[in-house]
Amino acid sequence: MEWLFLIVSFVAVLSAGMMLTRQNAVHSALFLIVNFGCVAFLYLMLDAPFLAMVQVTVYTGAIMVLFLFVIMLLGAETTTDQPRRMRWLGFTGTAIAIILLLVFAFPIASDMLSDEPFEAPDAQAQVRAVNAIPGGEGQIFTVMEMGFAMPLADSVRGNVLLDAADENYADLRLDALVYDAVGADAAAYTSLAAGDYTISAGVGDGSYVSAPVFSEALRLPPDSAHTLLFYQNAEGLVAISLQQDDVSAPEVGTMRLTFINAVADKEVALVDVGQYSARSSLCDNSSCGALIPHRVLIEGLPAGARATLELDAGDYTLAFVDQEQNILRTMTDFTAARGAIETRVLVREPGVPGSQPNYRAVSFSASGIPAFGSPEAVGQVLFIEYVLPVMLVGMLLLVALIGVIVLARPDALAQAERRRVNRRRRVSRPLVSVLARQTGADVLSGDYAAKLPRPRPEDGDAR
Amino acid sequence: MNAIGSEPYIILSMVLFLMGTLGVLMRRNAILLFMSVELMLNSANLALVAFAREWGGVNGHVFVFFVMTVAAAEVAIGLALIVNIFRERQSINIDDLQQMQG
Repeated sequence: MEWLFLIVSFVAVLSAGMMLTRQNAVHSALFLIVNFGCVAFLYLMLDAPFLAMVQVTVYTGAIMVLFLFVIMLLGAETTTDQPRRMRWLGFTGTAIAIILLLVFAFPIASDMLSDEPFEAPDAQAQVRAVNAIPGGEGQIFTVMEMGFAMPLADSVRGNVLLDAADENYADLRLDALVYDAVGADAAAYTSLAAGDYTISAGVGDGSYVSAPVFSEALRLPPDSAHTLLFYQNAEGLVAISLQQDDVSAPEVGTMRLTFINAVADKEVALVDVGQYSARSSLCDNSSCGALIPHRVLIEGLPAGARATLELDAGDYTLAFVDQEQNILRTMTDFTAARGAIETRVLVREPGVPGSQPNYRAVSFSASGIPAFGSPEAVGQVLFIEYVLPVMLVGMLLLVALIGVIVLARPDALAQAERRRVNRRRRVSRPLVSVLARQTGADVLSGDYAAKLPRPRPEDGDAR
Repeated sequence: MNAIGSEPYIILSMVLFLMGTLGVLMRRNAILLFMSVELMLNSANLALVAFAREWGGVNGHVFVFFVMTVAAAEVAIGLALIVNIFRERQSINIDDLQQMQG
């Protein structure tokens, strides 16, 4: 990478120097195009592919073509470039430039050589926690993240942490995410700087947290997403699984549906019952009949497991069925929107003991995380945070467009000049006659006449 | 991939900016003056993109986008002015344009 950067930057500086020293303006413009191309390449190396594209199209495309067009239109390739005034400016400028370069660039360069190698910037990774424990008292979880950046003794981390006393880790809680105990809660992603973490979870809300019931070392790569799922396992105990989510954009024309089974004692499959939506919608949660013909989308999943599929866009009737082919829950008129990313967690709602259990398919959606510097990432910031500046810049471009049209009219300046001369004449003629009357001198003849401002001959002709 | 830090980019940006400044100071051809200004804008953009990567945010990219837009508008207006000046005076040497001098 270093040699690539060196080559590209050398070409950039060389072409800039050639641009400055060529006498022919067309050659200068061509060297500037080379320079802009190098800068576009550097943008690519700086993880800015969108800007590299814009650089090529706008700068080396539109702007430089405009330059070349004007140069050739004017025939100004070799216009006089000799300084007639302030000849000292060039030498002084060069001297000041070199001094400035030494003053500013030298400390950076020396700092760079002595510094340790560059670390990747703090790219973001996403974590969310989903509580799929069916109700009950005290089932509030606090998720803690304990990064290596924290001043944390080795003895406190890892397994020892699990039986640490309350006050020890209460101080360690950095960014607590508190989720409601009732049912399963749709949780939003939380952004963390990518890196290594120890994710822990304790029972309780922000004011009191029990000893961590779960602790796992986790590496969060940049632009990744993880889901922490609390569920009840087959023994009825709280289990926690931590899995990576696929948040890249789904394939064109499809949506990505992730199904997580959080029902403790059942293996649940997700099926598509297709055209039988009318019949299956009759099935309410308490009395579901036998399963009608269907297409299995996801085979039976044990508790805590998950599966992901890409679903073609359209309307579906989906059903969750257990291993005895009983429908636990239907989703009628499920609309698969293009590009959507959705997760469905099937949970059993807390009910009166002995009664038929209710099942809920809790949904939460995620939007794909665009890669740094991609058109999506820039567009999201551009059109959400910076809508007003975008509008203003659009207005500016419109004004510039109109301004260029006004300026480029062939007689624009000539008309303005004529108006200016006419105004002056309207004032000066009566003034002359007043002076003549008051002084008695014939100001319009003799020596006076030569001193008076005269309209230009071509203006007189034009009248 | 990102083995190179931001400092070389900043230094390159400085060098290009100063070269653009020198062009503005030394050349007398109005079109070349404009091209030097474009070079300066570009070097500033390069620094912005380098800082954007350093801080891990795309706000710098958005700013560069705006700079490019404004530069496009500026070039369009400026070149139209140069065309008009050339039509009037048959010269685009900026030393010939001193009627605004007091």
